[in-house]
This record gives sequence, C-alpha cells and structure tokens, in this order.
Amino acid sequence: MQNSLYLTPESLLRLQQLASPILPVGSYSYSEGLELLVETGAISNADTLKDWLIQELKFGSFPIDGAILCRAYGALGSNNWEQLTYWNHWWSAARETHELRQQSWKMGQSLIRLLRSLEPTMKPWLDHLDQPANWTIVFGAAAAHWTIDLQATLLAYGQSWASNLIGAGVKLVPLGQTAGQQILLELLPTIVTLSDRAMVMQDTELCSCSWGLALASSQHEEQTVRLFQS
Amino acid sequence: MVHAAELLLPDNFAPNPLRSPWRGQLDLTYAHQNGETRPIHVKTQAPLRVQRPHYPEGRLICYSTVVHTAGGMVGGDELVQNIHLQPQSQALITTPAATKVYRSIGPICHQSTTIQLDLESYLEWFPQETIVFNAAKYYQQLRINLEPGAVALLWDITRFGRTARGECFDVGNWRSDVEVWQGRRPLLIDRQWLPGNSQILQSSHGLNGMPVVGTFALVGCDMSEELFLKMQNTLQQSDIPMTHVGLTRGLKGVICRYRGRSSQEARQGFVALWRVIRQFRGGKVPPLPRLWY
Repeated sequence: MQNSLYLTPESLLRLQQLASPILPVGSYSYSEGLELLVETGAISNADTLKDWLIQELKFGSFPIDGAILCRAYGALGSNNWEQLTYWNHWWSAARETHELRQQSWKMGQSLIRLLRSLEPTMKPWLDHLDQPANWTIVFGAAAAHWTIDLQATLLAYGQSWASNLIGAGVKLVPLGQTAGQQILLELLPTIVTLSDRAMVMQDTELCSCSWGLALASSQHEEQTVRLFQS
Repeated sequence: MVHAAELLLPDNFAPNPLRSPWRGQLDLTYAHQNGETRPIHVKTQAPLRVQRPHYPEGRLICYSTVVHTAGGMVGGDELVQNIHLQPQSQALITTPAATKVYRSIGPICHQSTTIQLDLESYLEWFPQETIVFNAAKYYQQLRINLEPGAVALLWDITRFGRTARGECFDVGNWRSDVEVWQGRRPLLIDRQWLPGNSQILQSSHGLNGMPVVGTFALVGCDMSEELFLKMQNTLQQSDIPMTHVGLTRGLKGVICRYRGRSSQEARQGFVALWRVIRQFRGGKVPPLPRLWY
C-alpha cells in the first residue's frame, strides 16, 4: 500500500482518457440493477443510493472486479498472455447475471476496437485475447501496456464506475446534480480502501456477497419498461 | 415459518465443543451398463454414510442418500467427498435432513466436494438445506468437472441463524464456492461469502433482512429460449414473491437465485424448475423423493 502515486504527466492523461465518461464504450447505458431497485423502492434517495454503492464496493462483486483488473495488468506486464486469457474466462464464468456479462463483453469489445485504431502497438495481445473479452481485462491490460501506475488505474477505474452509476441514479431517482457529486465525494475513502485491497487479494479471496446485485440484475432483465440496457 | 429441524433441538442444546473433530470421507463411483446405473465403488468414513441405492424412476437413474450420522458439524470438522460418474451414468444425490453447522469458538468447519462427470453422464445434486447457526464458521466447496456432453443440475439452500427462535447470523463467517469446469474452461464460478454482520444482513444489497438464500443451477447444456421461458413461467406461477427470485442465463446453462424467508419455499421453487427441465429433456416428470415432503 502506498501513499503516493507514480504518474508521469503523459500517463495521467492517458489514464484520464481511458476512464473518461465520454470514452465511446457505452458505459452510460447500463444501470447494473439500479433501475430495478428504484422501481421497487429499495433505492429512493441519495442516502439509499450511496449505501448501495458502498456495500457493493466493500462486500459486493466490485472488489473482485478490481482484483481481476490487477491480474490482467500483471499478466500483460509479464507478457503472460495465457494468464490474461485465463482470467478473462474466469471473469466471464463468475459474472452474476447474463446482463452483467453482456455489459462487460460489449464494453470490452468497444474498447478493443478503439485501441486497435488508437494504439497499433497493442495489436499482438489484442489479437491473442479470446473473444468475447471482458471490459476489466482490456482496461487493465491497456493500463499495463501504457505502464500507468496500478493503484492510480484502480482509483480511476473505481471512480469511473461510481460516476456512471451515480449518473444513472441521478436520472432514475431522480436526484439533483449536486447531490450526485456529493455522493461521489463521499465515496472517496471507500474507493481508496478498495484499491488497496484489490492489489493484495489472493486468488482464494475472490468472493463476494452478491445476492442483492444478482437478484436486481436478473430481475432487471425482465423489467418491462427500461431506460437502461439489458 | 418455524423450521421443523429447529424444533427437534431442546433449548439448551449445544454440541459438545470438546469432542474431537471429524474427518469424514466419502468416495462414490457410479457406472452405467445395459441401461442401468449402479454404484460400483463406495467407501465411507464416519460420520458420512451412504444409504442403499434406490430406483424410484427405473434403473437408468440411481438415487443415493448421503447421511451425516453425527447430526451436525462443529468447528474443526473436515468432510471430503469424491464423486465420480462414469460415462453415461445418471444419479440423483440428496441428504435425508437439514445439515446443521453449530457455532464455533475456534476453527472453521470445512466441507469439500469434488465431482467428476464423465462423457454424457448426468448428475442431480440436491442436498437438503444447511442451517448455519449464529457464530458458526463454515466453508463449503463444490467443484464439478464436466466431460463433453455431461450435465450437472444442482441446488444449494442455506438458512442463516435459527430464525424461529429469533436468532440471526450477526457473528461468524460463511463461505460457499461452487465451480463447474469443462476442461480448462470455467462454466460457472459462484463464490459467495457472508460475514456475520448485521449491516449486510439488513442491507438490500446483502440479505435484505431475509434469512434464507438458495441457488439452483443447470450447467453443461446450451439453453434454448423455449426452456428458459418455461422456467420463467414456472417461477411466475409459483407462490414465491417475484422480488425474492431471479432467473438468468449462465455461460452454458441457467441460474436461479432465491433470497427469502423459507427454505421450504426455496425448495418448492427449485423442485418446480427441476421438473420442467426433466420434462424438457424428454423424460417423464419424476416423482417427488419422499424425503422432500
């Protein structure tokens, strides 16, 4: 665990581009179960939205997501493409629902297409990576390719994820933009803790309490009126 | 609802924490020959035992009941089960009663089950529910290896705390890993964790105040739209509140999750899904094993 990050000016900007909400991978179109939770009343205001996100960051599947990112980062960094493929398959099998898996695959696919155009030097490992590829895997490997600091990558990845879901919550509940930004700021210590934890999680520790997420997401697949993709 | 297994225990019941831990073992191999599945190798070590096989549906599918003769598990217990279905064999494995996991002040208790499903074999793994007492420390692992054409149907139902007496699982640790692999490819990885913690028990993200969770999974066959819709309809027509259940496609199969108040309700839902799948696979609707009434 480190108290400071090691970023060159260039790698900071690359990371910001990867984690940017305008990166054309469609992240804004997913609510990861929030749409269903607002419909059923489980999330009805800023506090319940924040509680949900904190639970997910502490006990849910997001810590596994972060740990998988670290594994993809490490695999690419050591040119171990077999490991990259292994963890890609692993995460596809571990995604809680069809909807969450499709989201991860579609966003991963979009990022691969983008990187092929933006960074031809990534071609060897992009060619090697089995399709469909998960978003986390491609993100982590791209960060390693650009030798961006791992913890910085996790922090940006976590904040980008939280921003997307807060954006969804602001639309769905609905909440004011300031309330949304307030939640994002209050999640800060939890995201920092998550990044520390993701880097040291052992393979045997990859587990979560995902009943709420799995139920919300699988019920969302059947929700009749939807703004967000399934 | 008051759970029958809980009422059988006197109020002051506590397992002897001084008894030495069990090292139970079960090795069970089935073979298929001439339209019949038979256990060809059975080796057990207390407290595990297997009852005589029975054939309520005819000789094709063998029903086995695995008994835990000590009545429950305490910290330090280690149970290891190895089950092997040879090519084309078919089995249903269940347990005669709920498994109880008592509180532990020290070590965890651990159950590890490895199942090898050879070419075109078929297993239904339907243990009765596990009751995890408050302050229990339990880790169960189920690893299934599928050869081509093999299919596994499994469920797992867990009640946290003896809720009939107002107990909840606010101390302790529960972990359950289910993994199904086909060669080097994982088809299902489901690693659940519940630390005894009232925040998680009450949170809508965790147990939402519900004491019972269950998972039902079919793994090893491509899901047709028709079967998926049938399963969905079955759940909609059941008595289970729709907020307590979710059905979704897996990589090669389907998963249903339950989070509610009653292990009986969970089992009824899973039994209904089991019957739909059996019917769809071209068989008759199987009779309900007597143990499950």
